[in-house]
Amino acid sequence: MRPAIAVFAVAAVAQWFLPLSGIWQHERVLSRGTLVRIECAAPDPYDPLRGRYLAVRPAQSSVSEPEGFPRGGGRVPVWATLEAGDAGLARIKSVSLEPVSGPTVIPLTARSWGTINGTDVIGLEWPFDRLYLKERLAPDADKLVAERRRDGKKTVAEIRLLDGQAVLTDILLDGVSIRELAKQQGK
Amino acid sequence: MLQKDESAKPWQREAAALVQTLAVGAALALVSQIYNLPGKWTDLIFWWCVVSVPLAWVLRSQAVATAYLIGITVWTIAQAADRGFGFAGGVADVRLRYPLLLAGILPLWPGPELRDRPAAGGRLVLAASALIGLFAVAVYAAAQPLGPSNALPWLALLSAAAVLLFPLDRAGIAEPLACRPQVLFGGLALVIMALIATYEDPARDFVRSVGPALGLGWCWLLLTAVAGFAIIAFRQGRFAVLAVAGLALVPLLAAPLASPQAGGWPVAITYSLVLLATAIALIALEFVGRQGAARIGAALIALLVILRMADADVSLLVKGLAFIVIGSGFLAFNLFITRRRRVDATGGSPA
Repeated sequence: MRPAIAVFAVAAVAQWFLPLSGIWQHERVLSRGTLVRIECAAPDPYDPLRGRYLAVRPAQSSVSEPEGFPRGGGRVPVWATLEAGDAGLARIKSVSLEPVSGPTVIPLTARSWGTINGTDVIGLEWPFDRLYLKERLAPDADKLVAERRRDGKKTVAEIRLLDGQAVLTDILLDGVSIRELAKQQGK
Repeated sequence: MLQKDESAKPWQREAAALVQTLAVGAALALVSQIYNLPGKWTDLIFWWCVVSVPLAWVLRSQAVATAYLIGITVWTIAQAADRGFGFAGGVADVRLRYPLLLAGILPLWPGPELRDRPAAGGRLVLAASALIGLFAVAVYAAAQPLGPSNALPWLALLSAAAVLLFPLDRAGIAEPLACRPQVLFGGLALVIMALIATYEDPARDFVRSVGPALGLGWCWLLLTAVAGFAIIAFRQGRFAVLAVAGLALVPLLAAPLASPQAGGWPVAITYSLVLLATAIALIALEFVGRQGAARIGAALIALLVILRMADADVSLLVKGLAFIVIGSGFLAFNLFITRRRRVDATGGSPA
């Protein structure tokens, strides 16, 4: 075999391996990960290149600053442990600056927000921020989320956690997948 | 296309490589979108570059190589920006990865037989990528997580000097400046930074950056590279680039002499004088039959005089008249150089 063909073959394998490994990791988290539900907002923005998606913004965007959190305005990786709260919705129980293990541990990024009402607070960035939907479903989904929000009902993000990886699986309204609801609304 | 090898036309190879590169990018983007995979856009760029560059090697594609160079530079800038804005985790160490990524182009340029050279556009992108990439690595290396960074100015000067002095073979040295964009970009960056350092506050920052920079491994690596390249350039008689590269050493030489409380004006004046000396050297080299750059030297002198005139406390009328005189002098010098080169080309001594 000529060297060029061998190099090309290795490159072609790598080009297949990369997306497939992403899919495999995703499926592994889906099949084995711990199911967690968190309250969120989910408006429907538009990306000219990638189309419509629901911008998932977890309701819990800040917590009390953990001890030893570095000051100076930088973004710092933290590990949050979630616990089940009201109506089965998870909330952050603790935040650690060192990696911790557990079925409900999620890696986040934090930044100091200063002192609010006498408490030192950090802002949190979650590892997911978009749920892509089919183009024709997204406007209906957005309308549904807005209606439920006006009625005082909660929008819930369903995620699965495994070995420090988080996968956003769905958005639920009254326990029903937004994809299903949008499909029904569109009919 | 691989089977055809030499019989394949360049446009066929380019088209095949480009289509496959775009297909890989589209596959990665679509999979991450369909599966809502978490991650940053920079991760996508990085892996897209890594799995696409072998196509540039085997299909000898200039377009994919160019896209690869742009991609790795953008990725490096993004990592440096993350680190510069104080992101303490999840940022790749570009001090190691950028040189490795840049080396990823070696199987194409110069290739296994060390004789392939990029076309004009490829050279331009390669030189720009190296300069901007090294600046980004300097930002990364100088950034203190969650703290101020002050080692950057001198690291930037050394990065530009390294690009400027990059070794060339005899044929490369003989080529016109337009075919050596690394000399053009590196020299331009150095001169611009030196001109900025002719003002008091920036001059002080340049000198103050030497101490923190000397505590960084990246700085010593750059210094070693610059020293090695300078020795090669000296042996090859590339005195013009050595004269310009000397601008990077001024903060190092000034640092032990300047007290921490001192203002920046002694260094600013020194920089003006060194720039003047550099310009005179560029002109003189051409007149003694070496490879010089008389026009660039004259432009530098004109620029220096204009900058100092702009600072001077004289009337606008005097400044305007001085500007006209300088412009006329510069044009006259250019005419003189053109005539001199024509005479040399028709039988005079070689320039």
